[in-house]
Amino acid sequence: MKKISVYIVSLALLSLNSCGLFELDNKDEPSAAIQGEVVDAETGAPILTDQGSEGIRVRLLELSYGENVLPNPDFYCKPDGTFQNTKIFAGTYNVRVDGPFIPLLREDDRGTPLADETQEVAIGDLTKVKFEVQPFLNIEWVGEPQIINGKVKAQVRVTRGVSEEEFRSKIEPMGGYNANFQNVTDIQLFVSYSSTVGYRARDERWSSKIEYAGGAFNALLGEVVTIESIGTIPSGRSVFVRAAARINYDTPKGSGTRRWNYNESKQLLVP
Amino acid sequence: MNRLYILLLIGVFCVSACTDLDIPPKNVIGDETLLTNESGMKVYLARMYSRMPFEDFKYMGEWGMEYNGWLNASGIEGTGEAVNRDGICRAFTSERTAYWKDAFVLIRDANYLIETLPEYKESFPEVTYNHYLGEAYYARATAFYAMARRFGGVPLVTRVIKYPNDENPEIARSTEEETWDQVLADFDMAISLLRSTNPDTERGYATKYVALAFKSEAMLYAGSVAKYNETVPGRLTGLGLKTGVRVMGFDPTTWDAASRRYFREAYLAAQEVIKSNRFSLYKKKWAANDKEAQYQNMVDMFSDLSSTETIYAREYTYPISTHAYDAYNSPYIFKSPLASGTCPTLDFVELFDGFPRYPDGTIKVTTGDRNNEGTYVMYDSPMDFFENAEPRLRAYVIFPGDMFKNREIELRAGIYTGSTPISPLFNDYSYANAERHYQQLNQYTGVPKSLYLSPRELTDQEIVPVNGVPTAAAGENGPFYNNGEGCLTGLLGRKWLNPDPAFVPAEGKSAQPYVLMRYAEVLLNAAEAGVELSLAGEPSPDGSDMLQVATDAIAAIRERAGANPLLGSITGSEAGRNLVRKERRKELAMEHKAKWDLRRWRVNHYEARDLFWGEARDKDMFSNNSRYKFRGLYPFMSSQTGQYFFDAHFQWVSQKTFEYNIVDYYFAIPGGEVSKSPLIDQQPNR
Repeated sequence: MKKISVYIVSLALLSLNSCGLFELDNKDEPSAAIQGEVVDAETGAPILTDQGSEGIRVRLLELSYGENVLPNPDFYCKPDGTFQNTKIFAGTYNVRVDGPFIPLLREDDRGTPLADETQEVAIGDLTKVKFEVQPFLNIEWVGEPQIINGKVKAQVRVTRGVSEEEFRSKIEPMGGYNANFQNVTDIQLFVSYSSTVGYRARDERWSSKIEYAGGAFNALLGEVVTIESIGTIPSGRSVFVRAAARINYDTPKGSGTRRWNYNESKQLLVP
Repeated sequence: MNRLYILLLIGVFCVSACTDLDIPPKNVIGDETLLTNESGMKVYLARMYSRMPFEDFKYMGEWGMEYNGWLNASGIEGTGEAVNRDGICRAFTSERTAYWKDAFVLIRDANYLIETLPEYKESFPEVTYNHYLGEAYYARATAFYAMARRFGGVPLVTRVIKYPNDENPEIARSTEEETWDQVLADFDMAISLLRSTNPDTERGYATKYVALAFKSEAMLYAGSVAKYNETVPGRLTGLGLKTGVRVMGFDPTTWDAASRRYFREAYLAAQEVIKSNRFSLYKKKWAANDKEAQYQNMVDMFSDLSSTETIYAREYTYPISTHAYDAYNSPYIFKSPLASGTCPTLDFVELFDGFPRYPDGTIKVTTGDRNNEGTYVMYDSPMDFFENAEPRLRAYVIFPGDMFKNREIELRAGIYTGSTPISPLFNDYSYANAERHYQQLNQYTGVPKSLYLSPRELTDQEIVPVNGVPTAAAGENGPFYNNGEGCLTGLLGRKWLNPDPAFVPAEGKSAQPYVLMRYAEVLLNAAEAGVELSLAGEPSPDGSDMLQVATDAIAAIRERAGANPLLGSITGSEAGRNLVRKERRKELAMEHKAKWDLRRWRVNHYEARDLFWGEARDKDMFSNNSRYKFRGLYPFMSSQTGQYFFDAHFQWVSQKTFEYNIVDYYFAIPGGEVSKSPLIDQQPNR
């Protein structure tokens, strides 16, 4: 009699467990991936940028999540204008890039959408996206930069990537338009030991800039501009150099961050 | 027998008591206990006051409102006033604990008082009743003001939200303009209700004049933001994603009118304080043409509780309510457990009068026209260099060789053994060369060496014979190039330190009051609002001569400070405005005011950084794009002559690089608050 009750109790206890005991209670790590590139709509050339928060920002917004959704943590393009994130939960996302080009999402003063060129993508195993944009400026080397007496001397040419009329037609409806938005404000020469040279990775001892007030640069558009680094780079090692230019317009609007258009970096041996 | 027990048991169950147990618990104090008498009200207000967003010895810009005095230092938030060795020395771009949740706790307490106190109106004389109600409005104004200058538009919770059954528990962010209007309305209510003076036993409560003074500060902030947002690329405005409300910045059609309105309110509020004649600049020991007296006067004013200049101070009492400012900021010889937390910069010192200057306005230490030209000017003692320094600066900063607590404060970067005259140690003093330090110089690393420096204190000091006497290379208080606990810049902070020689600093031993609002600031508020109104072409709101008010204010402050007197009068121009701003940078330094001034003037980002110091200075001298650094003034001794010379170089020990971008003018809303609410918007530019 007593034995039977012991059996009943232990049987009841055993039946209280669940199969979950034998499973690892863990969610799979995010395994979906997105790979993308940002290219010039006209030429198909990649939009070169800085690696860091002054470069091209990639923002993902998961649409399948629910009503009150916050963007995923932002990440940024590589210097060559491509980006990749391999730790995303699979789902449908709105993908938006912001950089030194005509904004993809344009709204007027009251928040009414004017144009939306952002992409809605179902991100699965490996999803590729391509953004065709209109860069504000194109900047190119003219000849090879030289290092003389520890100073980099470079010649660059800056041209508009989007015509003044088109810029105006797309930006003006967003409100608060000012003609000085299109002024080129500065040209920078970034020098660094790092191959990811740019604003973030610049070496402040040598990087230099030329600033232009108002529309002073307009006459120099398409012309060869000479820029020289400051300080003296010690000889014996190689440095990476890159030039950048920007206009007086911040992206995304209201952030105050005026992003630069870049040319490709060059490695130079310091004699 | 068994039946008897059962019956008994049933009987026991039938014996029940009829006492009503539904009585209020005695350990929960209700409204009728608290809100019906003055001692109950003191308890209620004490809780509100303990949560007020006061920035004093218990506040750190890097950490936010944590009501905690650990590591407290002054002016280290990238304002250029001072630097500190630790990570807490960073530009004011966010606070670890955002002032959000705590603000709503305080606002709820205030709202509850506003809604409930009228039920107990008969318990108090009318003046007292009004005063308590005024305290609630004052607390709410203070909380909304503290939030508005951090976030722009915030949820205007002006009623008690009932949990869990409120019909409308979610409140979205209002526009920035509505938020400032609410701050204005709450201050105005407080001003109309608060009494003019407090009885002695209730020192520390708000008064009408406290509210007026803070109103002028808040409205100056609002007016400046409305106006100077326009000078920033992107106008710093945008609509919230969820609500479409302009939660940040001002509407292009209303900013101008709003800015004028706020400046008018700032001017009127400051003028009312001035005209009341209840306060005056502290001049107890002041004497004309006596620099020593003027200096001592300004040292005393911060700890004198009877000061006529103090409008509002947070008091401490040993041993029940203390802080530890002296334990972290005293010179190294008083280390206990830390030292030298506040090291003023040379850039800050350059705001003040009484120094030799180069043609570009920077402080002159060589015979040439700039730092790397000529030879060093030699001084018999380091204090000779500061002989004519403005007394106000001496009251704020401990100079090398000056006295503090009856001890001479020895600050020396090193000893130079080469021949005199001495050429500048570096050939490049520009920002690009900021990271090259004395210990990398050939004079130090070469053999034989002519420059001696010390990596650390005491037994780690390098010893050099000076006139046959073995002398430690660095001063007793540093700078030591491998120990950030010594002095970092060649200068130490004096403001807020307890000057009493008998006082032994330690954590929890300090009890100096923190002056949160003083008359000098009211004068500066009136002057700045007056000049801004003139610049905007506004007529004087009270008929007074606004520029004369500004001129008188600046002249009086300069006279008390022992600075060069103001020549001529202040004009309604940018030059006049910069003059007022510079005076503010000087007078209110290291009082948790400058970091807000830089924010509201919108001069912290690279494009506008020329006006960082109030006066115009070339930003490229101390910055490179978004980053910037500050300089120290390093005293060296020449072993051949026993004389001193100074080298002006970018911060040598624990060098700090600050970074400020335009997005930082509005702090991000805490992410958790945005994600859990269907209505709270993040800043549109983030």
